Amino acid sequence: MPSRLSFFSSTVGSKILIGLTGLLLFGFLIGHLAGNLTLLVGAESFNSYAHKLEGLVPVLYLAEVGLVAIFVLHVVRTLLNVWRNTVARPTRYSDKRRAYHTSRKSWSSTTMPLTGLFILAFVVLHIRTFKFGAFYRDPTTGERDLFRLVAEVYQNPLYVGFYVAAMILIGMHLNHGISSAAQSLGLSNQRYGRGLVLGGRMLAVVIAGGFAVLPLYMYVAY
Amino acid sequence: MSMNLTLRIWRQANPGTPGRLVEYAAQGISPDMSFLEMLDVVNEQLIRKGEEPVAFDSDCREGICGTCGCMVNGVAHGPDAAATVCQLHMRRFKNGDTITIEPWRAAAFPVVKDLVVDRSALDRIVRAGGYISMNVGAAPDANAMPVAKGLADEAFDAAACIQCGACVAACKNASAALFTAAKISHLNLLPQGQAERGRRAVAMVDQMDVEGFGACSNEGECEAVCPKEISISNIARMNREYLRARLVAR
Ligand code: FES
Repeated sequence: MPSRLSFFSSTVGSKILIGLTGLLLFGFLIGHLAGNLTLLVGAESFNSYAHKLEGLVPVLYLAEVGLVAIFVLHVVRTLLNVWRNTVARPTRYSDKRRAYHTSRKSWSSTTMPLTGLFILAFVVLHIRTFKFGAFYRDPTTGERDLFRLVAEVYQNPLYVGFYVAAMILIGMHLNHGISSAAQSLGLSNQRYGRGLVLGGRMLAVVIAGGFAVLPLYMYVAY
Repeated sequence: MSMNLTLRIWRQANPGTPGRLVEYAAQGISPDMSFLEMLDVVNEQLIRKGEEPVAFDSDCREGICGTCGCMVNGVAHGPDAAATVCQLHMRRFKNGDTITIEPWRAAAFPVVKDLVVDRSALDRIVRAGGYISMNVGAAPDANAMPVAKGLADEAFDAAACIQCGACVAACKNASAALFTAAKISHLNLLPQGQAERGRRAVAMVDQMDVEGFGACSNEGECEAVCPKEISISNIARMNREYLRARLVAR
């Protein structure tokens, strides 16, 4: 069906793109958390997991480039929409309140662009701290001892606090983001629309909570 | 027992001049009055004083035509669920309350005067795809085309939209997604609407975008203020229909 607009610049198509890239990033988070849980097992299993991941070289690079592309699409398309949405209401209300009844408006939903920008900054910092952080060599295996770096970083209570706070913000982003993405992709109907919101919230708590436990554990245990 | 209220009403002489909130005292208001009757009383007092009455839209005053609509204390159509502002009653307020009354605000809804806005953008969305093709001639037999009960119900729920524009007014992005989704759902669910199914979804979304409405953030403020309680699951359907039409339909 011909259209006057390109798919991704339409309000509907752009939200489908944002939802799809958002869900893919959420999928990455699940994998990332699953891998990181090896921290709880011990240094050996975490290091061997990290080493195996590094060993997947051509695939790993492809995945990294893909992940960056997805991230950029998600951020850029959202910023364009934020601009469009601002222009759509040039005069603000002098009094505007949350509608009652069935509204899903929440702290999470209203702060999506802000928590999103925070996550962007956090990811840059996070990659610098760990991926490009101090390179320790495990004397026995001769491979990178990433566990030592992780344990060291999380000896600083300030960093642990910052990390836990960051996970709360990511949890807020997911709290609205997961169900909102499903809705944008059309994966909702009248029967389970509410359930989707609840499911999204539960997943957000599990993911953010799972990530937040790790620095606390590392701080206490090492 | 009558009430005395302070009203802060948006006054704007015409689209070209800037407007502002002006305070009025509404005295001797009966709790049994509707919100619009209360405004009628205030207007009569203004006329008697030789002042310009507050312009606002209304027609049926029983929640079926979609002509009325304004923000009451920051909520489209006021605090009642499933009600237009003409169905809102003064017993919802307390003696001494201050009530802020503003027009719908959106780039696509320019203010005509005071609380009256131009909602013809919604008409143009309907014109873009809100029709079906029929052969002219004798009226078909009423039972010739069976419609499953569930689909008929969902189509009817969507068709209950009275085009008041509250969804746009309540949305932080001034998005018309719920309105457009209701109109697309209404016809795309029914067998009579199948001939234009894909073209309708694309043409109506196109028109919605051309009018300058924002995108949907899935907050559901629209559903919460909708006097007909139209579900945002219609927006999910619109997105499916649009995706399908752009991917596969010719
Ligand atoms: S005047 Fe008709 S719905 Fe309010």
